Order: sequence, then C-alpha cells, then structure tokens
Amino acid sequence: METSEDLKKIDEDLITQLNQIAKEKVEYWDIRTEVNNGTSLDFTNQKSKEISSFEIINCGIRAFKNGGWGFSVLRNIERESIKTGLQKAIKLARLSESLTKINFNIPQREPLIEKFKSKSKKNLDRIDIADKIKLVKNHEKIAGDYSKYVKNTHTFYMDGNSQTLFLNSFGSKIYQDLSFLRLFCMVYTNKNGITQSSVNSVAGVGGYEIAETDKANNLSKKTAKEAVELLDAKSPVGGKLTVVADSKLTGTIIHEAFGHACEADLVLNNESILKGMIGNNVASEQVTIIDNPSMGQAKQFNLPYDLFGSYFVDDEGIPSQKTIIIESGILRNYLHNLETSSRMGVPANGHGRASSSSERPQVRMGFTYIEPRDWNLEEIIEETKDGILCEDFQYGYTDPTTGNFQFKCRFSYKIRDGEKKEIMRDVSLSGMILEALNKISAIGNKNTFNYSVGICGKGGQRVRVCDGAPYIRIDDITVGGLS
Amino acid sequence: MQKDNSKLKCTDIYFEKTNYINIEIEENSIKNSETGEDNGLSIRVINKKGSLGFAYSNKLEKITLEKMCKTAIKMMNMATPDPDFKDLPYSFKNYPIVNGLYDKKIKYLEIEDCIHYVEDLIKVCKEDKMAISQSGNFASGYSKIFIFNSNDLSVFRKETSCLISSNIIIKDKVSKETSSSYERQIERSLNKLNAINVANLALEDAKRNLNRKKIKNMKGPVILTPKGVISLILRPIAAAVNGETFQYKRSFLVDKRGEKIGSDNLNIEDNGLIPGAAGSQIFDDEGVPCKNKKILENGNFLKEGLLHNSYTAGKEGVESTGNASRGSYISVPSIGITNFIMNPGDINLKEIIRDIKKGIILNYTGDSPNISTGDFSGLILHGNLIKDGEIKEPLNETMIGINLLDLFQKIDAVSKEYRVYGAFQAPWVRIKSANIIGGVN
Repeated sequence: METSEDLKKIDEDLITQLNQIAKEKVEYWDIRTEVNNGTSLDFTNQKSKEISSFEIINCGIRAFKNGGWGFSVLRNIERESIKTGLQKAIKLARLSESLTKINFNIPQREPLIEKFKSKSKKNLDRIDIADKIKLVKNHEKIAGDYSKYVKNTHTFYMDGNSQTLFLNSFGSKIYQDLSFLRLFCMVYTNKNGITQSSVNSVAGVGGYEIAETDKANNLSKKTAKEAVELLDAKSPVGGKLTVVADSKLTGTIIHEAFGHACEADLVLNNESILKGMIGNNVASEQVTIIDNPSMGQAKQFNLPYDLFGSYFVDDEGIPSQKTIIIESGILRNYLHNLETSSRMGVPANGHGRASSSSERPQVRMGFTYIEPRDWNLEEIIEETKDGILCEDFQYGYTDPTTGNFQFKCRFSYKIRDGEKKEIMRDVSLSGMILEALNKISAIGNKNTFNYSVGICGKGGQRVRVCDGAPYIRIDDITVGGLS
Repeated sequence: MQKDNSKLKCTDIYFEKTNYINIEIEENSIKNSETGEDNGLSIRVINKKGSLGFAYSNKLEKITLEKMCKTAIKMMNMATPDPDFKDLPYSFKNYPIVNGLYDKKIKYLEIEDCIHYVEDLIKVCKEDKMAISQSGNFASGYSKIFIFNSNDLSVFRKETSCLISSNIIIKDKVSKETSSSYERQIERSLNKLNAINVANLALEDAKRNLNRKKIKNMKGPVILTPKGVISLILRPIAAAVNGETFQYKRSFLVDKRGEKIGSDNLNIEDNGLIPGAAGSQIFDDEGVPCKNKKILENGNFLKEGLLHNSYTAGKEGVESTGNASRGSYISVPSIGITNFIMNPGDINLKEIIRDIKKGIILNYTGDSPNISTGDFSGLILHGNLIKDGEIKEPLNETMIGINLLDLFQKIDAVSKEYRVYGAFQAPWVRIKSANIIGGVN
C-alpha cells in the first residue's frame, strides 16, 4: 500500500513550525497520527450478520512539563488543526504541571528516524472481499456440519492496515505500516439440555497468509470437536490438588495474574504485589519469565507471519526488545513506558502502547512467556499421583493488590496414578499468584512450548498481545467446581 | 445515488459528534488533562432479500462518504439473504419527553472548572491514615446524534454525561496487608456529582476487605450488596432477555417465558424514561422511542419481557422495545439496556442482616455466570463473614457456586435501600442458602 495522502501532509515545514510553537513552553511533546482501513465479517449459523468496512483517521498530541501531561485528540490530519492541537496540549500540560505533586523529567533520547513495514506474503488489499467471505462461510459450514449436537456457530474475521507517523520533540520521525488479521471461531453445542461451547482464534501481523495456514484451516473443526467433547464432561469436585496446565492456560495465568503486576505504572500506583521486589525471589528457581515483542519470533512456531503481539517500535518511539522479568526465580525488571522508566531511573524497554492514536500510551505487555526447561509431558503426568490436567481457559481475573486469582479452564482431565483419565468441565483454579509461582514443581521442554493470541484490555484500551508457556505442574492449588 | 440501486430495500445513517474532557489522577496526584473530539458516520444498507452491508468512517469528506456508500452496497451484495429481516423503523409521531438528559453547563465546560472534582478525590485519600494511593478520573462529554432512514425517520438528540471514578488502595501498617476498591458515579448533570462521596465509598469498601481470612466450607445465607446484585442478578438477566441471545437460544431463560422463575421478591424492569438517569434516552440508536418495560413481576418472567431492536422484534412479529444500541457509529445496532432496575423491597438492610447467625455478604466477584446454562461458580474478591447479625472478617480464597435459577428462587428478602451504578439500580438481597467453598481444607 502507498503511503497515505493524509500522512504526507506532515512535512518538514510543519515540523519546524511545531518545534517553534512548543519551544521553551514544554519539555517534551509527541504527535501520533494514523490512517486505518479494514474489513470485518461476522457470521452466525452460516448467515452474515455484519459485513463491514471502515476508514478511520486519528491524531493524538501529547505535551509534557515537569510531571504534568496534556493531551489533545483530533479526528483529522490537517496542518492547522495539528498546530492548534499542539497549542491546546501545551496549555493542558502546563495546567497539569501546576497541580501535580509528582514532578520528574524525561531524559533526552537520540532521535529515531526510520520506516518500518510488516511483511505480507499476500497483501490484504489484493484479496477480493468475495474470497474472504468464502473463507468464513467455509468455516461456518465445517463447524455446523460437524455434529448434530452443534446448535450455534459464530465466525468472526477481521483484517486491517494501519499506517502511522510518530513525531516527537527529540526529532524522531517514524513511519509504520502494519497489517494484521484475526479469525475467531465459536461453537455452541447442546445435548440433553446441557449447553457447552468452545472458542479458538488465529491471529497475526502480516497478510492473508495468516488465514491460510494449517492451523487456520483447522480452526472451525477443532472448535466444533472441542464443544462436542465437552458435552460428556463431568463437573469436578472441589479441593486442593496438583494441577498440570497447558501453554494456553499457563500463558494466560502468567499474563493476567503476574504480567500486569510487572507493569511499572501499576507498581508506581501501589497497585502491584511486586512493588519493591526487584532482586527478590518471587518464584521457584526453575522459573524464567520474558517479555519480548520483537518482530521475527514466529519461526519457532513454523508460522509464515509475525506474532499478533509483536511490533517494531512502541507508541512512544522506543524499539521493541527482549526484557527479562524473572530470571531463575528472581525478579529482575518491570515493564516500562517513557514516564515510568524516567521516574525509576532505568532505560525505557519499549512497552508504552496505546490502542489507537486517540488514546494515551500505557505500560502494556507484548509477548510474555515462561522459558521452557527439560520435562517432557509424559513424565510430568506420570509423576502425578492424583491431580488434574487443565487445558485452555474460559476466562480469569486477578485482584492486583493481593494477587488473588481465579481462572476457569475449558478442558480438564482427571489424573489418577500417573494416567490421564476422564474429561471434566468448568474446573476453576484459584490461589495467590506468588504462592503459585513458588509451587511450580515441573516445567516442560521446548516440545511442549506453545503460544496463544489475545486482545488485552486495560484502562479501556485494547491491544494485541501474545503469551506463551510450556506445560507446567503446580502443586497444591485450590480447585473449585459446581458440585 | 442509493436510490438508483433497484435491489435496495432500505438504508439508515447514523451520525455522532462528541466533545469530551478527561482529567486523570494516578498515585493520588493529577497526571493528565485531556480534551478531544470524535465525529463519525455509518451507513447501513439492506436489500430486498434482507442482506446487510455496513460501512463507517470519521473522515467526513464528500469523496470518502461516496466511497463509503459504494462499499456498503458492495458489502450488501456479498452478504447472505436473511428472510427474518422485516424493515427498518418508520417515523414515529410522538417521542417521550425525558427531562434532565442534557446539561448546558457540560457543553460549555472548561477544563479549569472541573479540577475541583479531582481535588476532592485527592483530599479524601490524603486525609485517610490507611490510604496509600488512588487512581481515578473526572470525565464529561457532550454529544449530538442524528439518525435518518429511508422510511422517513429523521431524529436528533443531544445529551451530556459526566463521571467520577475512584480506585483507592489502603495498607494496614501493622499486618502490611493491602486492599483496594473501585467506585464510580455516572450522571447526566454536573451538579449531581459528588466526588467526596465516591472516594469515601471506595475507601469504606477497601477497609472492609482488609486482613482477609480463609474459612472452612460452609452452607448458609448470602447477602448480595447492590454490586453483587448487579453481577449475579441484573447483568445475567439483562443478557438472558436480550432478544438476540434469546433467539439464538443462548440464554438460560429460553423456554421459561410466562413461568415463575424466582421468588415473589424478584421484580425487574427496564425503564428508559427516568428523568436525569444515565441509561435514559428519548429514542434508541435506530430512532425508536424508549419506554418502560416490566421484565419480571413477582418472580414471573413475563411473556413480553424481552429487549428488542427492530431486527429481533421483526423476527418475532412484535414492535421494537426501543433497545437498539450501537455504542458508537462504528457498530451496527445490537441490543442494550436502558435503566435496568431491580425494585427495592420494604425491609431495612439492618433487619435483613440481623437475623443471620452465620452467613456471608458478597460484594464483588469479578466472575460472571454462564448465560447459556445459568451456572455460576466464582471467587469472592470482596466479601465478608456474617456472624450473629454482624459483618465480620473479609474472606480470602473463598468461592461460591450456585445456579442462577436456584438463586432466584431463594431470594427471601430485599432491602428498602438501593444504589444506582450508571444504568443499573439495585437493592441489597438475601439468598436463603448457598454453598461456600472455603480456602481451608
């Protein structure tokens, strides 16, 4: 896709004028502009519910002075509006500064002048809408025809291209051109009055090839199969049990119950159980947790596109990079944006992300995972006398100030005397996250390592994320069920 | 241009223009001041076979809008036929008058005039000995909405809203334990906002949840606070009586219409006409007048107790209930509540708690029931033990499991007192008995 005409309106002459406007009034400013296009296809029971197309432009202008931020949001990219917008943001920053009790400065950085473009084997705009619809219809049909117990199918496809231009007072000027695609499948089944459902999705940064991998082709069948299997699942009994968890469930627990506590904005606001814990032992010695949103990591999963949570630079112009959060059980780093790194006196590590240019960057994760170790799955199960094997999740939540979490698993299997037994549904796990991390007694090897995609919400903003893990075993965890 | 397309049956256009202010606090200090605008337009086109196309943009130039119309028609031509689609609404003669949905002060509000709201929040946190931090915000918005359709419907409304939120974190200096709680108030007019009250409510809740203890498994009465009622009674019922969820048979109330599903104490309505209320509107997001609808009466799930937009109403052969909801111009109309209310009872809260020898009070679970089965099992994030009629220690790692239909039957007392949270209004409710799974083996 050609660079958008709208973004071309921002030229060197305008940048000079903006620098002139901000000169000596504020210490830092940045401007994010974006032009987004996309398609979404929403099918239920093999009928289209919504087939839509959009074109959206946004522009967010931030100014900063000694701890105070001002933010002005526009829905156009016109030179005069941008100049007025910057003036407004400056005025608001000075107002915030006059009232804030927390003063700090943002250290000068080297400017970054760069153009980035995600790789697409099949450009989204060259695929006819009719082909995309055919793909969705096909998934709907596969799911609908899978079994007489399938009552409802839902397939949602969305793709988009986002062209952004980032400018800041350090002299950075960064163009980014990212394409992404997400295919989501949900199936409801019903038998003897019992309703069950399953959900799966495939998503990535790249082109239409994302929807054409084996994994994507198999999406609806897998989902229908799972929803049918769950019909015969039993409800579990509660108690304290040993749990073996797969990559989807473990990754989600790591993201929700631990990863958010590593976000330095929550640490500074006393909303994290990890405040003051850098250098402390927070997990069993085998545990190493990383966040790495860099591009080019999907090869390990044999994918022809980039991971959904990946990006070149964050929304404050800082390049994405690998950050060690826990190293062999010891907490090493928090995740930072420009503000939190400035305040804590550490280097920014590229986690300032916003859902769009009309929102302020917060501290967000990218691709968060537990590093694999040396157990194979059979060994983990064999050495479990009495426990539950839990795979995939339905939902979960955490109280950030205490670390108390609960996750509801999608599939669970009883483990008796080292053997995988009958399937169960609606098993929920709960506990305190730091206790749980210390009770990890086995971590699977590379062959058990996998990742999942998601859209994570925080403060009303939704961003693309990934998490990953091998199979792990946690001893002595509270398991709840219905009966 | 659209009229030229002979296959076209009807079309509607939704246009929204919004201006907003937002002041955020973090670490109990003002962090960010923001002003912004949003304006966008969407077009929905439907052909004679019921196929739907949709497009939206916020780039309000003639060339983009023309492209949008063409795209929407292209999308329509690709969509599957839908014989269930009847028609878009026709123009209405009368619209209700609902006062207090627009506050002129908000339209002309300057950011400097709102600072005192967040300063009030900051003050409450600063003056409390246990409070260690607070995040929160003040926000206000003014919007204008135009809806036109090819059935000669053409309506306009303007409305305002404002909100205060507070998330306070406290710490016990001796035990080193922390706790937090979130409160917010949403109003149509500025003069109703009370930031000190919002922060104090958050603070009280956080204190009630400090130094949490594990308990053994037990069975006993459960008091749901208004927040608990919203998550275990109002939200699930709102989702279950949503015409779309219902028609797809994804609701645990399918096959229960006209039946008694709860105790006599369960009375629920969806009322869009309450003056000044956050969920009130003159007309819904398809231009259909809003009204007051009874959903459950003395525990009976009324035959007419579903929420509809024009599509689900047409499919069922009834009138739209005025519950079309878009969120913003980027969505096709789905179905939403107006003000969803559980009617208060005639007993004081104190009396309801007084009779309980051993039970729990549940404020917040973070979990939500399974709407298709009505099953619920969740971790109690905020809840306390009740002993001999008094609220005692907060609960740690404690879960509750119950089916909603069972819960509805077991409602044996409803308080006079109630709270309003945005579009929800809820009293305190007592459940005769439920299974509690404790954190102690």
